[in-house]
Amino acid sequence: MTAALIAEGLVAGYGAAEQILKGASVAVQPGEIVTIIGPNGAGKSTLLKAVAGLLKIAEGRVAVAGRDVTAQDAIGRARAGLAFVPQEANVFARLSVAENLSISGFLDPKGSATELEKIYARYPMLAGKRRALARSLSGGQRQILAMAMGLMQQPTMMLLDEPTAGLSPRAAEELFAAVIDLNRAGLPVLMVEQHAVEALRISHRGYVLVAGRNSVEGAGPALAEDPDIRRLFLGG
Amino acid sequence: MEALLQAVVNGLLAGSLIAVPAVGFTAIFAILRYPSFAIAGYVSVGAFAGWAANTMLGFGAPLAVLVAFAAGAAAGLLCELGALRRLMPAGALTVAIASIAVNLILENILRFFFGNDLRGFDLPIQPDLIIGGIFVGLQQIWNLVLAVAVVAAVFAFLMFTRFGRAMRAVADNPDLARLKGIDPARIAAIAVALGAGLAGAGGVLLGLDTSIDPMTGYRVLLSVFAAAVLGGLGSIPGAVAGALALGIAEELALLVVPATYRTGVGFVAILLILTFRPRGLLGERAA
Repeated sequence: MTAALIAEGLVAGYGAAEQILKGASVAVQPGEIVTIIGPNGAGKSTLLKAVAGLLKIAEGRVAVAGRDVTAQDAIGRARAGLAFVPQEANVFARLSVAENLSISGFLDPKGSATELEKIYARYPMLAGKRRALARSLSGGQRQILAMAMGLMQQPTMMLLDEPTAGLSPRAAEELFAAVIDLNRAGLPVLMVEQHAVEALRISHRGYVLVAGRNSVEGAGPALAEDPDIRRLFLGG
Repeated sequence: MEALLQAVVNGLLAGSLIAVPAVGFTAIFAILRYPSFAIAGYVSVGAFAGWAANTMLGFGAPLAVLVAFAAGAAAGLLCELGALRRLMPAGALTVAIASIAVNLILENILRFFFGNDLRGFDLPIQPDLIIGGIFVGLQQIWNLVLAVAVVAAVFAFLMFTRFGRAMRAVADNPDLARLKGIDPARIAAIAVALGAGLAGAGGVLLGLDTSIDPMTGYRVLLSVFAAAVLGGLGSIPGAVAGALALGIAEELALLVVPATYRTGVGFVAILLILTFRPRGLLGERAA
């Protein structure tokens, strides 16, 4: 089976300073939810950005559904099937919900009309607020919109950068439920999460990233119960 | 009372003409993040192109506006891709200064071919209408209609077309737009063509109202800039509101101060708005 995503030996950083990623690797199989956890500054978000093509990599390679996209920029990787949902500023604040969704289908204007109907059916909240400006949404609603905008790209692989950051526990729970829901529909998901234990519980596999390199790797629920991991992320 | 009403009507008519290039100026700012003083040159280029279409080819005013849009857009793209874009890495201030140079170059190219003479459009002479004691020229009403049509077309483009929406998306959040597969360089080119085209169309509208010469654009530059700042730089509805407000303010000022101080109103308006309402009249300034 071809992996949905392979990123191997990524070395990348911001500018001339020391590289943040020092040879990190992740793979996501079809149908999987994979979570990357790690201490602050480990390079989790950097890894996602390097995969999405927002950051030039110095070494390593990225392949989407068996196709090498290392030489492609962010637009090329979006075309190849990656949908990256950034942690912040992930919606067009001054555009309406409907416009946010339709513009996200920019690369395939014909296909996006049917996609839009599916999304409104999946998220009735968005259908009810289609004329509202994105900046008027609550944090949880905005995050759902950002994810739905990712879906409008008709991706083969979804990348989520800390989707529950800043959300209330209840909104975070709803968001994780939405992620599971998407995944059950067949979409592989790679996410970075601060809420490590909760995220690992819903993940098939997890990676622990430390100082720009892979540390531990294993089944999600097992990592969630691992005493070392719990000590690292819960302080006890 | 009548004098007051007359001033408001005159201000709205004058403001509607400034609104067209002001929307162009703010559209370029919204996407490229530099104030393009070259807009003055695009206004003059459009004015002369429309004038040539009118007096040499016999085109009517609406067609002359279209020709001017095309000429302004072409001049804008040429200057942007040929010169200004290359300076982008040096920062917005450098590009803004270079745009002043572009304006001087365009102005002098026009001067070289057409000289400094004032030129008028070939229009039938029409009587003023008197409605309830207010004088309005029929041509001015036509100009207002044309200005409204141009601005309405811009709104329709931005709201209902794929590339219009993409332009608003880039103005709102360029990084996210790129993630959605929108090429910023392409949108920048569209924004410049639209902005410079609007400036050109505005040049004809101003010329229909009075006359044109190579300084036509330069003379309205301050008003255009003030209107865009008043509306909150980068906000298109704001630029329209700013232009109308400025037009009325200029006319009202004439009731109490000599006409030589008219252009001062623009400076005062910029000063006041930046002091008390830095995000513009509608509070929509691009961050």
